[in-house]
Amino acid sequence: MKHRTRIASVLFIMGIAGTFSNPASANALKEAGKVALVAKTGMSVTPPRAWNSLALRPSKNAEIWTLDGEQLNKVTFFAGIASGVPLYKERNKKRESLPKMRADTLLVDIPELLEGTIRGYNNVAIFEVTNSMPAKFLGKDAIQFNYTYTDNDQLPRLGEAVATIVGGKLYMVTFEAPRLHYFKRTVEDYRRLVASASLK
Amino acid sequence: MKKLVASICLITSCGTSIKAEPLPTLPPYAGVYQPKGVDEIGLWQEDDEDERALRDSSVIIRDEKLTAYLKEVLCRTVGPERCESVRIYVLKESVFNASMSPNGTMRIFTGLLLRCRNEAELAAVLGHEFGHFEQRHTLKEFKKKRSATDALSWAAVLAAAASTYQGNSSYSDLRYSVYGELYRYNRDQEREADRLGVAYLNRSDLRPQAASEIWVNQMAEITVSSQAKGFKKPQFNKVAYTASHPPHLERAATMAALALPEGNSRDDGHIRYQNAIRPWLAQFLDDQIKVGDFGASEYIITSLAQSGWTSDLWHARGELFRLRGNPRDHVNAVDFYRAAIALDPLKAESYRGQGLSLMKTGQRAEAATAFNRFLELKPDSQDASMVKMLLQSLAEVKS
Repeated sequence: MKHRTRIASVLFIMGIAGTFSNPASANALKEAGKVALVAKTGMSVTPPRAWNSLALRPSKNAEIWTLDGEQLNKVTFFAGIASGVPLYKERNKKRESLPKMRADTLLVDIPELLEGTIRGYNNVAIFEVTNSMPAKFLGKDAIQFNYTYTDNDQLPRLGEAVATIVGGKLYMVTFEAPRLHYFKRTVEDYRRLVASASLK
Repeated sequence: MKKLVASICLITSCGTSIKAEPLPTLPPYAGVYQPKGVDEIGLWQEDDEDERALRDSSVIIRDEKLTAYLKEVLCRTVGPERCESVRIYVLKESVFNASMSPNGTMRIFTGLLLRCRNEAELAAVLGHEFGHFEQRHTLKEFKKKRSATDALSWAAVLAAAASTYQGNSSYSDLRYSVYGELYRYNRDQEREADRLGVAYLNRSDLRPQAASEIWVNQMAEITVSSQAKGFKKPQFNKVAYTASHPPHLERAATMAALALPEGNSRDDGHIRYQNAIRPWLAQFLDDQIKVGDFGASEYIITSLAQSGWTSDLWHARGELFRLRGNPRDHVNAVDFYRAAIALDPLKAESYRGQGLSLMKTGQRAEAATAFNRFLELKPDSQDASMVKMLLQSLAEVKS
């Protein structure tokens, strides 16, 4: 009986592992120079170099792209987040609720919205917005800001984001990478990607 | 909640009338201890590795003054001889938690420091954790639950197989939950640590009644937090410390009964504690507010304010309401920021918050005044140029 239970548990674990270890069919290549719609919304980008988009998405209106794996460089697109909707899909609406986009959210509030989301979702206590300034994104007035945080893997990361609000909906692109080496190496790729973004 | 308050009254006023247990005594102290046997040596080796990683980690608050103060409180609680075996690390994490591992590493979370109201309450938690350490409960449980490490090996396999970082981190969480299980003590061990914790306090110069008070306070916070989230019953099993230390009023009552009655008139070190935590209070409050647990944060702020409102507390309350962001919250937030400014007219961040809340309640002229004052006080703020842009938009609407 004990033997049978052990076999059953090994098969079960292999089954779970199987669902997560099939990257080839799950993720997609975003080719250089080809227009790509983001998260099936009106926002699109034309990547100057090839990127990988991950199948695992933080929410219906968000998408993650990476060059070397999301731990090393991660671009997250948030496209058309409406009032009352959080940036990430909540794991549990009651117990682990996340801050929401609101009708009266101002550009200056957006770093706090992202901070509350990252702190709440990843359960991190080290997060600081280091700099924010007016910018242009999708042809509109926008906010550009930088931040630092330490994730559960204890690796200090740097982040840069640009966000705007169009018709009460939030459009934002964030870039996060380890402070050591990776941020500096790929931040320009992120900036070129942002520069290619447009909204229908 | 009414029931809980009634029970609190029962415990604090009639604590001594609960069945008279003999007052706990301390076991003789063995002095410098070295691990014995394969299990214990192995456990210490793993623990030493963990401590090395912890020492270099960015989650540690490296404030020698604060750490020295915490060590001093521990030494006053358990005695100078016993406390020599402990190294204290303060972890920047907003949850109520503290733990002690077998090699003498004591982890104190900033969430615990925020919630303690005086030295005696802190001493009660540290004494309880030291009690687990002195009785080597981890080793006993480890032997019993060795199968948990098999689960850990599987977690490593799954994490490697996971194709994404998010998949990966969910398996890392498994590692923590299994460790949580590993460090979860059984009820008898909890009772033993409770008894020892109170025994240390009885022998110290601090008020032993604090042991049951912090417990009751923590239960009240979880009850309020659960209600704010819409739960009918308090979610004790969802909070790190109370999940591994089941809170029962019976436990609080027993601790109240075990506390030396004549100790009730002792000092609880309220002022010393407030002075030691003051440099960090604003930061701890800010971290707590951004966790997004409105009920718990409001409870903590009002509980700390029982000994007098300060500008930090009013400001934190303003931030809490502004970040929740309902129209009625902004009205309240404006008042709270105003109270913070009344106590500290140079509190730049309160002007910023007030400006934002005023803007959202349609009071544009007052908002502009608040933003201007913010920029005067903090011209090099990281978001100064954004605030200037807001001011410009306010001026455009006016004209």
